[in-house]
Amino acid sequence: MSSALRISGGAFGYGHAPALVGVDIDVEPGQAVALIGPNGAGKSTLLKGVLGLVPLLAGTMDILDRPRAQADRSSLGYLPQADDLDPEFPVSLEQVVLMGRYRSMGWLRGPRRADRAAVATALETVGLASRARARFGTLSGGQQQRGLLARAIAANPRLLLLDEPFNGLDQTNRDALIETLQALKERGVAILVSTHDLELARLVCDRVLLLNGSQVAFGDRDAVLTLENVQRTFREVQVELDQHTFVTPGHDGH
Amino acid sequence: MGTDPFDLLFAPFALPFMGRALAVMLVLAVAAGVVGVLVNLRGLEFTTDGLVHAVFPGIAIGFALGGTPGLFVGAVVAAVVGAVLLTVAVRAAVASDSGVAIVLTGMFSIGVLAVSRQSDYSGQLESLLFGRILTITAGEVTQTLVIAVLALALVLATLKEQVFRAFDPTGSAAAGYRPIVLDLVLNVAIALVVVAASSAVGNLLVLAVLIVPAAIARLLTGRLILLFPIAAATAALAAWLGLSASFAASVSTGVSLPSGATVVAALVVGYLIALALRALRGRRGTVAA
Repeated sequence: MSSALRISGGAFGYGHAPALVGVDIDVEPGQAVALIGPNGAGKSTLLKGVLGLVPLLAGTMDILDRPRAQADRSSLGYLPQADDLDPEFPVSLEQVVLMGRYRSMGWLRGPRRADRAAVATALETVGLASRARARFGTLSGGQQQRGLLARAIAANPRLLLLDEPFNGLDQTNRDALIETLQALKERGVAILVSTHDLELARLVCDRVLLLNGSQVAFGDRDAVLTLENVQRTFREVQVELDQHTFVTPGHDGH
Repeated sequence: MGTDPFDLLFAPFALPFMGRALAVMLVLAVAAGVVGVLVNLRGLEFTTDGLVHAVFPGIAIGFALGGTPGLFVGAVVAAVVGAVLLTVAVRAAVASDSGVAIVLTGMFSIGVLAVSRQSDYSGQLESLLFGRILTITAGEVTQTLVIAVLALALVLATLKEQVFRAFDPTGSAAAGYRPIVLDLVLNVAIALVVVAASSAVGNLLVLAVLIVPAAIARLLTGRLILLFPIAAATAALAAWLGLSASFAASVSTGVSLPSGATVVAALVVGYLIALALRALRGRRGTVAA
Protein backbone atom coordinates (compact mmCIF):
# COMPACT_ATOMS: atom_id res chain seq x y z
CA MET A 1 0.00 0.00 0.00
CA SER A 2 1.33 3.40 -0.85
CA SER A 3 1.97 5.90 1.88
CA ALA A 4 2.72 9.62 1.72
CA LEU A 5 4.34 9.82 5.13
CA ARG A 6 5.04 7.18 7.76
CA ILE A 7 6.80 8.02 11.03
CA SER A 8 7.45 5.43 13.76
CA GLY A 9 8.67 6.43 17.20
CA GLY A 10 9.85 9.74 15.75
CA ALA A 11 11.65 12.34 17.87
CA PHE A 12 12.68 15.69 16.39
CA GLY A 13 14.84 18.51 17.66
CA TYR A 14 18.42 19.48 18.39
CA GLY A 15 20.83 17.90 20.85
CA HIS A 16 19.73 16.33 24.10
CA ALA A 17 16.30 17.87 24.43
CA PRO A 18 14.00 16.88 21.55
CA ALA A 19 11.24 19.40 20.88
CA LEU A 20 8.85 16.63 19.90
CA VAL A 21 8.80 12.91 20.78
CA GLY A 22 6.69 9.82 20.25
CA VAL A 23 5.37 10.56 16.79
CA ASP A 24 3.62 7.55 15.19
CA ILE A 25 1.65 8.49 12.11
CA ASP A 26 0.77 7.09 8.72
CA VAL A 27 -0.67 9.41 6.09
CA GLU A 28 -2.11 8.15 2.81
CA PRO A 29 -2.21 10.04 -0.49
CA GLY A 30 -5.24 12.31 -0.68
CA GLN A 31 -5.54 12.59 3.09
CA ALA A 32 -5.27 15.85 5.00
CA VAL A 33 -4.00 15.85 8.56
CA ALA A 34 -4.51 18.78 10.94
CA LEU A 35 -1.66 19.34 13.42
CA ILE A 36 -3.22 20.86 16.50
CA GLY A 37 -1.61 21.93 19.74
CA PRO A 38 -0.60 24.94 21.81
CA ASN A 39 2.32 27.21 20.88
CA GLY A 40 5.59 25.36 21.25
CA ALA A 41 3.86 21.97 20.96
CA GLY A 42 6.12 20.94 18.08
CA LYS A 43 3.85 21.60 15.09
CA SER A 44 6.43 23.58 13.12
CA THR A 45 9.15 21.23 14.35
CA LEU A 46 7.33 18.26 12.82
CA LEU A 47 6.86 20.04 9.48
CA LYS A 48 10.52 21.08 9.43
CA GLY A 49 11.52 17.59 10.49
CA VAL A 50 9.75 16.12 7.45
CA LEU A 51 11.58 18.68 5.27
CA GLY A 52 14.92 17.70 6.80
CA LEU A 53 15.43 21.15 8.36
CA VAL A 54 15.22 19.78 11.92
CA PRO A 55 17.05 16.49 12.63
CA LEU A 56 15.22 13.24 13.33
CA LEU A 57 16.78 12.13 16.64
CA ALA A 58 15.06 8.75 17.02
CA GLY A 59 12.70 6.48 15.13
CA THR A 60 12.19 6.07 11.40
CA MET A 61 10.55 8.20 8.73
CA ASP A 62 9.51 7.17 5.22
CA ILE A 63 8.52 9.92 2.82
CA LEU A 64 6.50 8.92 -0.25
CA ASP A 65 7.46 5.27 0.25
CA ARG A 66 11.16 5.95 0.49
CA PRO A 67 13.44 6.13 3.53
CA ARG A 68 14.01 9.81 4.34
CA ALA A 69 17.63 9.79 3.14
CA GLN A 70 16.45 8.89 -0.37
CA ALA A 71 13.28 10.99 -0.28
CA ASP A 72 12.34 12.76 -3.49
CA ARG A 73 12.44 16.29 -2.16
CA SER A 74 11.14 17.87 -5.35
CA SER A 75 7.82 16.15 -4.54
CA LEU A 76 7.47 18.06 -1.26
CA GLY A 77 5.71 21.40 -1.12
CA TYR A 78 6.11 23.75 1.84
CA LEU A 79 4.22 26.84 2.87
CA PRO A 80 6.17 28.74 5.54
CA GLN A 81 4.62 31.44 7.69
CA ALA A 82 4.69 34.59 5.58
CA ASP A 83 5.37 37.03 8.44
CA ASP A 84 9.14 37.03 8.26
CA LEU A 85 9.44 37.92 4.56
CA ASP A 86 10.79 41.38 3.71
CA PRO A 87 7.93 43.40 2.12
CA GLU A 88 10.49 45.62 0.34
CA PHE A 89 12.16 42.72 -1.46
CA PRO A 90 12.12 43.52 -5.19
CA VAL A 91 10.45 40.39 -6.49
CA SER A 92 7.13 39.90 -8.28
CA LEU A 93 4.45 37.39 -7.31
CA GLU A 94 5.19 35.50 -10.53
CA GLN A 95 8.88 35.26 -9.64
CA VAL A 96 8.05 33.98 -6.16
CA VAL A 97 5.83 31.24 -7.61
CA LEU A 98 8.55 30.33 -10.10
CA MET A 99 10.84 29.57 -7.13
CA GLY A 100 8.69 26.48 -6.62
CA ARG A 101 10.02 25.21 -9.96
CA TYR A 102 13.74 25.82 -9.28
CA ARG A 103 14.40 22.26 -8.09
CA SER A 104 13.00 20.72 -11.24
CA MET A 105 14.60 23.39 -13.46
CA GLY A 106 18.05 22.58 -12.12
CA TRP A 107 21.15 24.75 -11.70
CA LEU A 108 22.15 27.11 -14.51
CA ARG A 109 18.78 26.75 -16.23
CA GLY A 110 16.17 29.38 -16.84
CA PRO A 111 12.44 28.67 -16.94
CA ARG A 112 11.09 26.68 -19.88
CA ARG A 113 7.59 26.60 -21.30
CA ALA A 114 6.46 23.90 -18.84
CA ASP A 115 7.70 25.98 -15.90
CA ARG A 116 5.84 29.09 -17.05
CA ALA A 117 2.69 27.01 -17.59
CA ALA A 118 2.95 25.51 -14.08
CA VAL A 119 3.30 29.01 -12.61
CA ALA A 120 0.25 30.28 -14.52
CA THR A 121 -1.83 27.26 -13.45
CA ALA A 122 -0.80 27.61 -9.80
CA LEU A 123 -1.71 31.31 -9.82
CA GLU A 124 -5.10 30.52 -11.31
CA THR A 125 -5.68 27.80 -8.73
CA VAL A 126 -5.24 30.29 -5.87
CA GLY A 127 -7.15 33.01 -7.72
CA LEU A 128 -4.27 35.45 -8.17
CA ALA A 129 -3.63 35.26 -11.93
CA SER A 130 -4.43 38.97 -12.33
CA ARG A 131 -1.77 39.97 -9.78
CA ALA A 132 1.09 38.00 -11.36
CA ARG A 133 3.25 41.07 -12.05
CA ALA A 134 2.61 42.83 -8.74
CA ARG A 135 5.52 43.17 -6.34
CA PHE A 136 5.08 40.49 -3.71
CA GLY A 137 5.35 42.95 -0.82
CA THR A 138 2.47 45.08 -2.11
CA LEU A 139 0.00 42.18 -1.78
CA SER A 140 -2.19 41.87 1.31
CA GLY A 141 -1.23 39.34 3.97
CA GLY A 142 -3.86 36.90 2.73
CA GLN A 143 -2.76 37.27 -0.87
CA GLN A 144 0.89 36.71 0.12
CA GLN A 145 -0.18 33.53 1.89
CA ARG A 146 -2.02 32.36 -1.24
CA GLY A 147 0.99 33.34 -3.35
CA LEU A 148 3.24 31.13 -1.22
CA LEU A 149 0.69 28.34 -1.56
CA ALA A 150 0.87 28.81 -5.34
CA ARG A 151 4.66 28.44 -5.07
CA ALA A 152 4.21 25.17 -3.18
CA ILE A 153 1.63 23.95 -5.73
CA ALA A 154 3.80 24.90 -8.72
CA ALA A 155 6.27 22.22 -7.65
CA ASN A 156 3.53 19.60 -8.28
CA PRO A 157 4.01 18.20 -4.78
CA ARG A 158 2.65 14.84 -3.66
CA LEU A 159 3.05 15.84 -0.03
CA LEU A 160 2.19 19.40 0.98
CA LEU A 161 3.26 20.88 4.34
CA LEU A 162 1.49 24.05 5.48
CA ASP A 163 2.54 26.05 8.55
CA GLU A 164 -0.37 28.09 9.96
CA PRO A 165 -1.74 29.04 6.52
CA PHE A 166 -4.94 30.51 7.96
CA ASN A 167 -3.44 33.01 10.37
CA GLY A 168 -4.82 36.46 9.79
CA LEU A 169 -6.87 35.53 6.72
CA ASP A 170 -10.16 37.26 6.00
CA GLN A 171 -13.21 35.20 5.06
CA THR A 172 -12.66 35.54 1.27
CA ASN A 173 -9.05 34.38 1.43
CA ARG A 174 -9.95 31.64 3.88
CA ASP A 175 -12.67 30.26 1.59
CA ALA A 176 -10.32 30.41 -1.41
CA LEU A 177 -7.66 28.49 0.52
CA ILE A 178 -10.12 25.81 1.70
CA GLU A 179 -11.35 25.32 -1.86
CA THR A 180 -7.77 24.96 -3.14
CA LEU A 181 -6.89 22.40 -0.48
CA GLN A 182 -10.00 20.34 -1.31
CA ALA A 183 -9.04 20.30 -4.98
CA LEU A 184 -5.48 19.19 -4.15
CA LYS A 185 -6.76 16.35 -1.97
CA GLU A 186 -8.96 15.14 -4.81
CA ARG A 187 -5.83 14.98 -6.99
CA GLY A 188 -4.24 12.65 -4.44
CA VAL A 189 -1.98 15.17 -2.72
CA ALA A 190 -1.39 14.40 0.96
CA ILE A 191 -1.52 17.47 3.21
CA LEU A 192 -0.15 18.21 6.66
CA VAL A 193 -1.43 21.52 8.00
CA SER A 194 -0.65 23.08 11.35
CA THR A 195 -3.43 25.27 12.64
CA HIS A 196 -5.06 26.80 15.69
CA ASP A 197 -8.35 26.71 13.88
CA LEU A 198 -10.44 23.70 14.94
CA GLU A 199 -13.21 24.77 12.57
CA LEU A 200 -10.79 24.55 9.68
CA ALA A 201 -9.69 21.11 10.79
CA ARG A 202 -13.32 20.02 10.54
CA LEU A 203 -13.74 21.50 7.06
CA VAL A 204 -10.60 20.26 5.34
CA CYS A 205 -9.00 17.47 7.31
CA ASP A 206 -9.87 13.78 7.54
CA ARG A 207 -7.41 13.10 10.28
CA VAL A 208 -6.09 14.96 13.28
CA LEU A 209 -2.76 14.82 15.10
CA LEU A 210 -2.83 16.35 18.58
CA LEU A 211 0.59 17.46 19.83
CA ASN A 212 1.96 18.81 23.07
CA GLY A 213 5.67 18.13 23.01
CA SER A 214 4.72 14.56 22.33
CA GLN A 215 1.93 12.91 20.38
CA VAL A 216 -1.33 13.05 22.35
CA ALA A 217 -3.53 11.35 19.78
CA PHE A 218 -3.67 10.58 16.07
CA GLY A 219 -6.51 9.20 13.99
CA ASP A 220 -9.79 9.97 12.30
CA ARG A 221 -10.94 13.48 12.99
CA ASP A 222 -14.12 12.76 14.90
CA ALA A 223 -12.59 9.99 16.95
CA VAL A 224 -9.62 12.18 18.00
CA LEU A 225 -11.29 15.52 18.59
CA THR A 226 -12.88 14.56 21.90
CA LEU A 227 -13.15 16.92 24.83
CA GLU A 228 -10.81 14.75 26.87
CA ASN A 229 -8.12 14.69 24.16
CA VAL A 230 -8.34 18.42 23.59
CA GLN A 231 -8.00 19.04 27.34
CA ARG A 232 -4.97 16.78 27.48
CA THR A 233 -3.46 18.73 24.57
CA PHE A 234 -4.07 22.22 25.89
CA ARG A 235 -3.08 21.53 29.46
CA GLU A 236 -2.29 25.09 30.32
CA VAL A 237 -5.17 27.41 29.67
CA GLN A 238 -4.61 31.13 29.71
CA VAL A 239 -7.40 33.16 31.26
CA GLU A 240 -7.62 36.94 31.19
CA LEU A 241 -9.56 38.58 34.01
CA ASP A 242 -9.57 42.24 34.99
CA GLN A 243 -6.35 42.85 32.97
CA HIS A 244 -4.58 40.06 34.83
CA THR A 245 -3.50 36.90 33.09
CA PHE A 246 -3.86 33.59 34.93
CA VAL A 247 -2.49 30.32 33.71
CA THR A 248 -4.09 27.17 35.01
CA PRO A 249 -1.44 24.67 36.14
CA GLY A 250 -0.80 21.58 34.03
CA HIS A 251 -1.68 18.10 35.28
CA ASP A 252 1.94 17.09 35.66
CA GLY A 253 3.18 20.28 37.22
CA HIS A 254 4.48 22.10 34.11
CA MET B 1 43.78 69.77 -23.86
CA GLY B 2 40.74 72.02 -24.32
CA THR B 3 37.55 72.39 -22.34
CA ASP B 4 35.48 70.69 -25.02
CA PRO B 5 33.36 68.06 -23.15
CA PHE B 6 34.39 65.50 -25.75
CA ASP B 7 38.04 66.10 -24.93
CA LEU B 8 37.37 65.92 -21.19
CA LEU B 9 35.46 62.64 -21.39
CA PHE B 10 37.20 60.72 -24.17
CA ALA B 11 40.63 62.10 -25.01
CA PRO B 12 42.37 61.14 -21.72
CA PHE B 13 41.75 57.46 -22.32
CA ALA B 14 43.88 57.49 -25.47
CA LEU B 15 46.84 57.58 -23.08
CA PRO B 16 47.89 53.98 -22.34
CA PHE B 17 47.85 54.34 -18.53
CA MET B 18 44.43 56.00 -18.59
CA GLY B 19 43.09 53.40 -21.04
CA ARG B 20 44.25 50.59 -18.75
CA ALA B 21 42.72 52.31 -15.75
CA LEU B 22 39.37 52.65 -17.52
CA ALA B 23 39.41 49.03 -18.73
CA VAL B 24 40.07 47.77 -15.19
CA MET B 25 37.41 50.01 -13.68
CA LEU B 26 34.76 48.97 -16.22
CA VAL B 27 35.34 45.26 -15.58
CA LEU B 28 35.26 45.89 -11.83
CA ALA B 29 32.07 47.90 -12.22
CA VAL B 30 30.23 44.98 -13.78
CA ALA B 31 31.51 42.42 -11.24
CA ALA B 32 31.03 44.66 -8.19
CA GLY B 33 27.65 45.87 -9.43
CA VAL B 34 26.23 42.36 -9.87
CA VAL B 35 27.80 40.86 -6.72
CA GLY B 36 26.84 44.02 -4.82
CA VAL B 37 23.14 43.54 -5.62
CA LEU B 38 23.26 40.21 -3.79
CA VAL B 39 25.13 41.81 -0.88
CA ASN B 40 22.31 44.34 -0.71
CA LEU B 41 19.50 41.77 -0.99
CA ARG B 42 21.08 39.56 1.66
CA GLY B 43 21.99 42.48 3.94
CA LEU B 44 25.60 41.27 4.00
CA GLU B 45 27.22 44.71 4.33
CA PHE B 46 28.90 43.83 7.62
CA THR B 47 30.22 40.51 6.32
CA THR B 48 31.51 42.34 3.27
CA ASP B 49 33.31 44.83 5.47
CA GLY B 50 34.75 41.83 7.29
CA LEU B 51 36.05 40.32 4.07
CA VAL B 52 37.62 43.64 3.09
CA HIS B 53 39.56 43.65 6.36
CA ALA B 54 40.45 39.97 6.06
CA VAL B 55 41.95 40.46 2.62
CA PHE B 56 44.21 43.32 3.74
CA PRO B 57 46.83 41.26 5.64
CA GLY B 58 46.95 38.89 2.66
CA ILE B 59 47.74 41.78 0.35
CA ALA B 60 50.27 43.23 2.77
CA ILE B 61 52.07 39.97 3.54
CA GLY B 62 52.00 38.92 -0.11
CA PHE B 63 53.48 42.28 -1.04
CA ALA B 64 56.12 42.10 1.71
CA LEU B 65 57.21 38.62 0.61
CA GLY B 66 56.89 38.83 -3.15
CA GLY B 67 56.45 42.46 -4.20
CA THR B 68 53.63 43.34 -6.58
CA PRO B 69 53.31 39.79 -8.03
CA GLY B 70 53.02 38.41 -4.50
CA LEU B 71 50.27 40.88 -3.71
CA PHE B 72 47.66 39.10 -5.81
CA VAL B 73 48.63 35.65 -4.58
CA GLY B 74 48.46 36.76 -0.95
CA ALA B 75 45.16 38.51 -1.53
CA VAL B 76 43.52 35.49 -3.18
CA VAL B 77 44.70 33.17 -0.40
CA ALA B 78 43.45 35.56 2.29
CA ALA B 79 40.17 36.06 0.42
CA VAL B 80 39.37 32.35 0.24
CA VAL B 81 40.46 31.65 3.82
CA GLY B 82 38.58 34.69 5.10
CA ALA B 83 35.41 33.75 3.17
CA VAL B 84 35.42 30.17 4.48
CA LEU B 85 36.10 31.22 8.10
CA LEU B 86 33.47 33.92 8.05
CA THR B 87 30.86 31.63 6.48
CA VAL B 88 31.46 28.94 9.08
CA ALA B 89 31.59 31.41 11.99
CA VAL B 90 28.38 33.19 11.03
CA ARG B 91 26.60 29.88 10.37
CA ALA B 92 27.69 28.30 13.65
CA ALA B 93 26.67 31.57 15.32
CA VAL B 94 29.85 31.36 17.38
CA ALA B 95 30.84 34.83 16.31
CA SER B 96 29.05 37.81 17.82
CA ASP B 97 29.34 41.16 16.07
CA SER B 98 31.99 42.25 18.55
CA GLY B 99 33.85 38.96 18.06
CA VAL B 100 33.91 39.50 14.30
CA ALA B 101 35.02 43.10 14.83
CA ILE B 102 37.90 42.04 17.10
CA VAL B 103 39.14 39.44 14.64
CA LEU B 104 38.89 41.89 11.75
CA THR B 105 40.72 44.78 13.35
CA GLY B 106 43.30 42.23 14.53
CA MET B 107 43.77 41.02 10.94
CA PHE B 108 44.00 44.61 9.76
CA SER B 109 46.75 45.45 12.24
CA ILE B 110 48.69 42.35 11.17
CA GLY B 111 48.52 43.78 7.66
CA VAL B 112 49.79 47.17 8.78
CA LEU B 113 52.64 45.52 10.73
CA ALA B 114 53.60 43.51 7.64
CA VAL B 115 53.73 46.64 5.52
CA SER B 116 55.70 48.54 8.18
CA ARG B 117 58.67 46.21 7.57
CA GLN B 118 58.93 47.72 4.08
CA SER B 119 61.36 50.51 3.25
CA ASP B 120 58.88 53.03 1.83
CA TYR B 121 56.35 52.34 4.56
CA SER B 122 53.89 55.20 4.23
CA GLY B 123 53.99 55.25 0.43
CA GLN B 124 53.28 51.50 0.20
CA LEU B 125 50.56 51.63 2.83
CA GLU B 126 48.90 54.50 1.06
CA SER B 127 48.80 52.73 -2.28
CA LEU B 128 47.42 49.56 -0.65
CA LEU B 129 44.74 51.45 1.23
CA PHE B 130 43.76 53.97 -1.42
CA GLY B 131 44.70 52.26 -4.68
CA ARG B 132 47.07 53.17 -7.46
CA ILE B 133 45.03 52.65 -10.56
CA LEU B 134 47.10 55.00 -12.69
CA THR B 135 50.27 52.96 -12.27
CA ILE B 136 48.65 49.59 -12.85
CA THR B 137 50.60 47.34 -15.24
CA ALA B 138 49.33 45.34 -18.22
CA GLY B 139 49.95 42.14 -16.22
CA GLU B 140 47.81 43.42 -13.36
CA VAL B 141 45.04 44.27 -15.82
CA THR B 142 44.94 40.59 -16.82
CA GLN B 143 44.96 39.42 -13.19
CA THR B 144 42.15 41.78 -12.25
CA LEU B 145 40.17 40.68 -15.28
CA VAL B 146 40.53 36.98 -14.48
CA ILE B 147 39.57 37.41 -10.82
CA ALA B 148 36.62 39.68 -11.55
CA VAL B 149 35.28 37.30 -14.20
CA LEU B 150 35.66 34.38 -11.78
CA ALA B 151 33.65 36.24 -9.12
CA LEU B 152 31.00 37.11 -11.68
CA ALA B 153 30.79 33.51 -12.90
CA LEU B 154 30.33 32.17 -9.34
CA VAL B 155 27.41 34.50 -8.75
CA LEU B 156 25.77 34.14 -12.17
CA ALA B 157 25.91 30.33 -11.96
CA THR B 158 23.92 30.40 -8.70
CA LEU B 159 21.92 33.56 -9.29
CA LYS B 160 18.34 32.28 -9.04
CA GLU B 161 19.20 30.12 -6.03
CA GLN B 162 20.96 33.08 -4.33
CA VAL B 163 17.93 35.32 -4.87
CA PHE B 164 15.64 32.56 -3.52
CA ARG B 165 17.78 32.30 -0.38
CA ALA B 166 17.87 36.08 0.03
CA PHE B 167 14.08 36.34 -0.24
CA ASP B 168 13.09 33.30 1.83
CA PRO B 169 15.92 31.47 3.65
CA THR B 170 13.59 28.88 5.19
CA GLY B 171 11.77 28.19 1.94
CA SER B 172 15.07 27.83 0.10
CA ALA B 173 16.43 25.37 2.66
CA ALA B 174 13.12 23.49 2.62
CA ALA B 175 13.45 23.14 -1.15
CA GLY B 176 16.71 21.32 -0.51
CA TYR B 177 19.29 24.05 -1.15
CA ARG B 178 22.07 23.78 1.41
CA PRO B 179 22.57 27.25 2.93
CA ILE B 180 26.25 26.73 3.63
CA VAL B 181 26.99 25.95 -0.02
CA LEU B 182 25.21 29.06 -1.29
CA ASP B 183 26.83 31.22 1.41
CA LEU B 184 30.31 29.92 0.63
CA VAL B 185 29.90 30.62 -3.07
CA LEU B 186 28.62 34.14 -2.41
CA ASN B 187 31.26 35.00 0.21
CA VAL B 188 34.08 33.74 -2.01
CA ALA B 189 32.68 35.84 -4.88
CA ILE B 190 32.56 38.93 -2.64
CA ALA B 191 36.11 38.29 -1.45
CA LEU B 192 37.33 37.91 -5.05
CA VAL B 193 35.77 41.26 -6.00
CA VAL B 194 37.56 42.77 -3.02
CA VAL B 195 40.84 41.33 -4.30
CA ALA B 196 40.21 42.51 -7.85
CA ALA B 197 39.32 46.01 -6.72
CA SER B 198 42.02 46.45 -4.09
CA SER B 199 44.84 47.52 -6.39
CA ALA B 200 42.50 49.80 -8.34
CA VAL B 201 40.50 51.70 -5.73
CA GLY B 202 42.37 50.52 -2.65
CA ASN B 203 41.37 48.34 0.25
CA LEU B 204 39.56 51.07 2.17
CA LEU B 205 37.38 52.17 -0.74
CA VAL B 206 36.41 48.71 -2.05
CA LEU B 207 33.38 48.65 0.21
CA ALA B 208 31.90 51.65 -1.63
CA VAL B 209 32.23 49.97 -5.02
CA LEU B 210 30.42 46.88 -3.72
CA ILE B 211 27.67 48.64 -1.82
CA VAL B 212 26.83 51.99 -3.39
CA PRO B 213 25.88 50.89 -6.96
CA ALA B 214 23.42 48.30 -5.61
CA ALA B 215 21.98 50.87 -3.19
CA ILE B 216 21.46 53.26 -6.13
CA ALA B 217 19.75 50.51 -8.13
CA ARG B 218 17.43 49.72 -5.21
CA LEU B 219 16.40 53.39 -5.15
CA LEU B 220 15.70 53.47 -8.88
CA THR B 221 13.77 50.25 -9.44
CA GLY B 222 11.62 47.69 -7.65
CA ARG B 223 12.17 45.13 -10.41
CA LEU B 224 14.65 42.38 -9.77
CA ILE B 225 15.97 41.91 -13.30
CA LEU B 226 16.67 45.63 -13.68
CA LEU B 227 18.72 45.81 -10.46
CA PHE B 228 21.74 44.01 -11.92
CA PRO B 229 22.18 46.07 -15.13
CA ILE B 230 21.44 49.34 -13.30
CA ALA B 231 24.01 48.63 -10.59
CA ALA B 232 26.65 47.62 -13.14
CA ALA B 233 25.92 50.61 -15.39
CA THR B 234 25.97 53.08 -12.48
CA ALA B 235 29.32 51.76 -11.30
CA ALA B 236 30.72 51.95 -14.85
CA LEU B 237 29.47 55.51 -15.31
CA ALA B 238 30.94 56.60 -11.97
CA ALA B 239 34.27 55.00 -12.92
CA TRP B 240 34.38 56.83 -16.22
CA LEU B 241 33.33 60.23 -14.81
CA GLY B 242 35.57 59.84 -11.77
CA LEU B 243 38.64 59.01 -13.84
CA SER B 244 37.93 61.89 -16.27
CA ALA B 245 37.47 64.36 -13.43
CA SER B 246 40.63 63.26 -11.69
CA PHE B 247 42.58 63.53 -14.95
CA ALA B 248 41.13 66.93 -15.87
CA ALA B 249 41.84 68.32 -12.42
CA SER B 250 45.47 67.29 -12.45
CA VAL B 251 46.14 68.34 -16.06
CA SER B 252 44.33 71.67 -16.25
CA THR B 253 44.50 72.95 -12.68
CA GLY B 254 47.45 71.02 -11.32
CA VAL B 255 45.36 69.75 -8.42
CA SER B 256 46.16 66.09 -7.86
CA LEU B 257 42.99 64.11 -7.15
CA PRO B 258 43.49 60.43 -6.24
CA SER B 259 41.56 58.49 -8.88
CA GLY B 260 40.10 55.79 -6.61
CA ALA B 261 38.66 58.37 -4.24
CA THR B 262 37.31 60.44 -7.16
CA VAL B 263 35.47 57.38 -8.49
CA VAL B 264 33.96 56.73 -5.06
CA ALA B 265 32.97 60.40 -4.78
CA ALA B 266 31.22 60.09 -8.16
CA LEU B 267 29.34 57.07 -6.81
CA VAL B 268 28.20 58.96 -3.74
CA VAL B 269 27.02 61.88 -5.91
CA GLY B 270 25.11 59.30 -7.97
CA TYR B 271 23.50 58.00 -4.81
CA LEU B 272 22.38 61.51 -3.83
CA ILE B 273 20.93 62.07 -7.31
CA ALA B 274 19.06 58.73 -7.05
CA LEU B 275 17.70 59.77 -3.65
CA ALA B 276 16.48 63.06 -5.13
CA LEU B 277 14.91 61.30 -8.12
CA ARG B 278 13.07 58.92 -5.85
CA ALA B 279 11.82 61.74 -3.65
CA LEU B 280 10.57 63.62 -6.74
CA ARG B 281 8.87 60.51 -8.09
CA GLY B 282 7.29 59.88 -4.71
CA ARG B 283 5.89 63.41 -4.60
CA ARG B 284 4.54 63.21 -8.15
CA GLY B 285 2.98 59.89 -7.18
CA THR B 286 1.11 61.41 -4.25
CA VAL B 287 -0.03 64.38 -6.37
CA ALA B 288 -1.37 61.99 -9.01
CA ALA B 289 -3.11 59.87 -6.41
